[in-house]
Amino acid sequence: MSALHYIILQVTGPSIFNTASPEARKIGWLGNGFLIAGTAMMLLVIILTVRFTLRYRAKENDAEPPQTKGSHKMELLMVGVPLVLVIFFFFWSLRTMSAVMPGRTGDQQPDVIITGHQWWWQADYTASHFSTANEIHLPVGKRILLKLDAADVIHDWWVPALGAKMDMIPGRDNYLWIDIDKPGIYQGACSEFCGEQHAWMRIRVVAQEPAEYQKWLAEQSANAEQPADSLARLGEALFEKASCSNCHSIRGTGAKGDIGPDLTHFARRQTMLSGMEDNTPENVYQWLLDPQKVKTGARMPRFIFNRDSLMALTAYLSQLK
Amino acid sequence: MKLVVGTEAMFFLALIMAFVYFSSAAGFKHQQTHVLDIKATGVFSLLLFSSSFTFWRAESNYKKGRVGRLKFWLVVTILLGLVFLLGQANEYHKLFDEHINLASSIFGTSFFTLTGFHGLHVIIGLIILLIVTRLAFSGDYDMGGSNVISTVGIYWHFVDIVWVFVFSIVYVIPHLF
Amino acid sequence: MEIDHLHIPEPHESLPDLSINDNQGLLQWISSVDHKQIGIMYLWLAVLFLMVGGVEILLVRIQLAVPRNHFLSPEMYDQLFTMHGTTMIFFVLMPAIFGFASYFVPLMIGANDMAFPRMNAFSFWATFFGGSLLYFSYLAGGAPDAGWFNYAPINQYNYSSSPGIDYYCSGLLLAGIGTVSASVNFIVTILKYRVKSMDLKQMPLFVWMILINSFLVLAAFPSLNAALVMLLLDRQLHAHFFSAAGGGSAILWQHLFWLFGHPEVYILILPVFGIFSEIFPVYSRKPIFGYGFVVGSGIAIALLAFGVWVHHMFATGLGNTVNNFFAASSLLIGVPTGVKIFNWLATMYHGSIRFSVAMMFSVAFLIEFTIGGLSGISFAIVPIDWQLTDTYYVVAHLHYVFIGGSLFGLLAGLFYWFPKMSGKMLDEKLGRWFFWLFVIGFNLTFLVQHLLGAMGMPRRVYTYPDLPGWGILNFISSGGGFLMAIAVGLLVYIIIKSNVKGEKADADPWDANTLEWTVSSPPGLKNFDRVIPVKSTRPYRDYKRPDDADWKREN
Repeated sequence: MSALHYIILQVTGPSIFNTASPEARKIGWLGNGFLIAGTAMMLLVIILTVRFTLRYRAKENDAEPPQTKGSHKMELLMVGVPLVLVIFFFFWSLRTMSAVMPGRTGDQQPDVIITGHQWWWQADYTASHFSTANEIHLPVGKRILLKLDAADVIHDWWVPALGAKMDMIPGRDNYLWIDIDKPGIYQGACSEFCGEQHAWMRIRVVAQEPAEYQKWLAEQSANAEQPADSLARLGEALFEKASCSNCHSIRGTGAKGDIGPDLTHFARRQTMLSGMEDNTPENVYQWLLDPQKVKTGARMPRFIFNRDSLMALTAYLSQLK
Repeated sequence: MKLVVGTEAMFFLALIMAFVYFSSAAGFKHQQTHVLDIKATGVFSLLLFSSSFTFWRAESNYKKGRVGRLKFWLVVTILLGLVFLLGQANEYHKLFDEHINLASSIFGTSFFTLTGFHGLHVIIGLIILLIVTRLAFSGDYDMGGSNVISTVGIYWHFVDIVWVFVFSIVYVIPHLF
Repeated sequence: MEIDHLHIPEPHESLPDLSINDNQGLLQWISSVDHKQIGIMYLWLAVLFLMVGGVEILLVRIQLAVPRNHFLSPEMYDQLFTMHGTTMIFFVLMPAIFGFASYFVPLMIGANDMAFPRMNAFSFWATFFGGSLLYFSYLAGGAPDAGWFNYAPINQYNYSSSPGIDYYCSGLLLAGIGTVSASVNFIVTILKYRVKSMDLKQMPLFVWMILINSFLVLAAFPSLNAALVMLLLDRQLHAHFFSAAGGGSAILWQHLFWLFGHPEVYILILPVFGIFSEIFPVYSRKPIFGYGFVVGSGIAIALLAFGVWVHHMFATGLGNTVNNFFAASSLLIGVPTGVKIFNWLATMYHGSIRFSVAMMFSVAFLIEFTIGGLSGISFAIVPIDWQLTDTYYVVAHLHYVFIGGSLFGLLAGLFYWFPKMSGKMLDEKLGRWFFWLFVIGFNLTFLVQHLLGAMGMPRRVYTYPDLPGWGILNFISSGGGFLMAIAVGLLVYIIIKSNVKGEKADADPWDANTLEWTVSSPPGLKNFDRVIPVKSTRPYRDYKRPDDADWKREN
């Protein structure tokens, strides 16, 4: 299997083979174990089928073969072997389950609360009092508790490299433990159908060394910087005056909406629209021009801005480092 | 008919499960114990249960060939069923006056769906009974040997038995615990 | 309900073959209460919807052929995959199974019709109009768009305001009533209308499986019907069963739906196990290996089927205790399901196997269903499920079960029974072409999807980013889909051609074992004047080889 794994590792990005956490690895071992047992079963069936097909093909004027009706010994074997295998995997999976999802003890507070929206991810870092979206930074080498919620319909958190997925269900709190081994960017996606833009609800987990992570936390907790150039200042004014601020927050300004993603440090994110596009001024411009054309069904309505206003808003958003 | 009743029983089981599932919701029990009138409904329930008895009388008289008594007990059964329905209508009316309806809360949703579907079955049962009674009066059962009566009986008893469960779960149990 | 004197109304001048040029033409079919005509109408309904559902999924596969494609809008895409799933399950596989059952159950047990012929017609028309109602949604402002299992709360009015889901509910309710009434009919027919000499232990396995299946339907469908009614109340009268905002529960829908949905999977596979259990012995010229075992495991599956639904919900966070229980039951149900493969293999062992197309599909099934079965067991192993549920791995798995299992069985049944139904042989040479095209196309489409799922592709996405390997695998999958489409086109051509000018079929072209082959092909309006004595599970063989009859042999 290892050769195959190696190839898969080389050609795939986010996959269950490309693990970066002990949880995912434990699941991977179990998966490999099952793959081996399954392949053995599969080969058995294939070999028997092919062999019987070739060996017992009827010839011209064959007499009727012996009319055997069954054999209890054989039946016992047919049930016994799979039953033993199944029991074996049951206990292996019990062990893996309690290792991967130990459950929450007492009143442990989650490190990050992640809320699925149609169609983006809200991440609240409760201890540091800020909220961000879609690109979720986490430290390596620490066991992190995520709380998973949904704002509207059912979503599902799934980052294959980090192990199990977990549904986010309105009216229900789910929890998930995550351990990350090595720094890197891990891709994932919403894995429960959640409407028109289910496809563009991708997750980016940015795993960082603790020091780097602390730095990031500090940067994110800060308010938005004052725009330096006049175009961006014009954009800031527009943002508050037009209805942008009804839905979006930019900390340190009058924009305090809580319906759409928090944009305080928008320009630090590498992608926009939940991983749909790279975060470039051109893409921001096109988005503001007509959100429904870029991401049909998205909750952001189309506002009729003239070209100058669009330029100003784009400039403002693109400097929100 | 037993198969039909079996599959219907599964249907009610699903509705009852939903009711129980929601009964832990906030404010659910309060409405259950305060809004519902267990005494009045209890009386009407007794009437419905006794209709099972009257139907049984009808059936056993028919088996003995006493068509006259069959007709009498059938009519009594129908009357009891009707009174039960009136009681249910009265209860619904009171609840609507207190602005409790299907859309008002999760209690309303599950209460009206469960009792409403039961009521619907009572109505269907009454229609079948009316047809049977009409046939009885026009002399279709004078000969004996038909299994229509016992078949209808399976259905009517089933409707009553469902109410035993619904009544205990919706009305009685919240008072006990 | 006791049946004493049942008058079976029968049309007077009709032959239940495929031609509809009798004196009364179409009207005679529409008004028919003959189980054979109703069976054939069920089968045509399935073929019709197979083509509709197939076109829907071809559009979907075009959209997915390359990354970031703009062939379909997301809205269209959601409607198409929802309709594809709903159609294939409720209006292709179900009617096809009921078609064969309605045609062959009475013939196999020596009865002249179903117990309630009018109710049989009602069941068919309820299914027909249920399907029509579902498709009417396209004209009424938009098809349902929340997937075939239609999860809450995305099925609620505020997330899907087109009337599609209302049509989904009413269409499935209507079809569900048809299904339930058909099942009642089958149970009564099988239990009360068997020829006197046939006791339960001598029933053909197909009949056994239909009997078990009908009980399964009676227990499973009410749960769906209740859920659909609650959803309609939610959508139309603003009740709060499934919306968390109003105090309802999104999880409740999942419980109710899968309490129906998982037994439904077995409802779609058990009758097919029955078909295979008829076909393997006939073409291997041996009795089935372990008759009692096949029946027993069928019953075991039916009972266990109601204890496994939560394995669709392992990722909803119900906790390890609940998950453990359902993992155990789900692993357990895999055993009686999978072990049957060895029954059929053992039936082939030392046989004298004739490879007609029906047998080819049966042999292919052994391998395809093993793949589907094993990938199914991987979902009972909870941690693997946590990784792979709701990905393309599930899509691959369920198609290996529904196509490699159910559909292969129905196709095998079609090639096996077509001569009986039409009096013509189904073209075996073209049939082989169809077989290879379909099997290769099928594996091309779905084998790669296992890998896509493991590589992180969720199901039901209308497009995907250009990640390494995703584009090429999806392209292969789409290509395989078109191969299957060509194959289905060929199949329809074969059916029509064989029916018009096919080779004439004898009453017993395959040297088969059961009662339906004792009558002419196609059977006359009244099936039997006289039924041969039934003393074993293979009455017709006993009759043809009296010196070597099964009942004379001890074991």
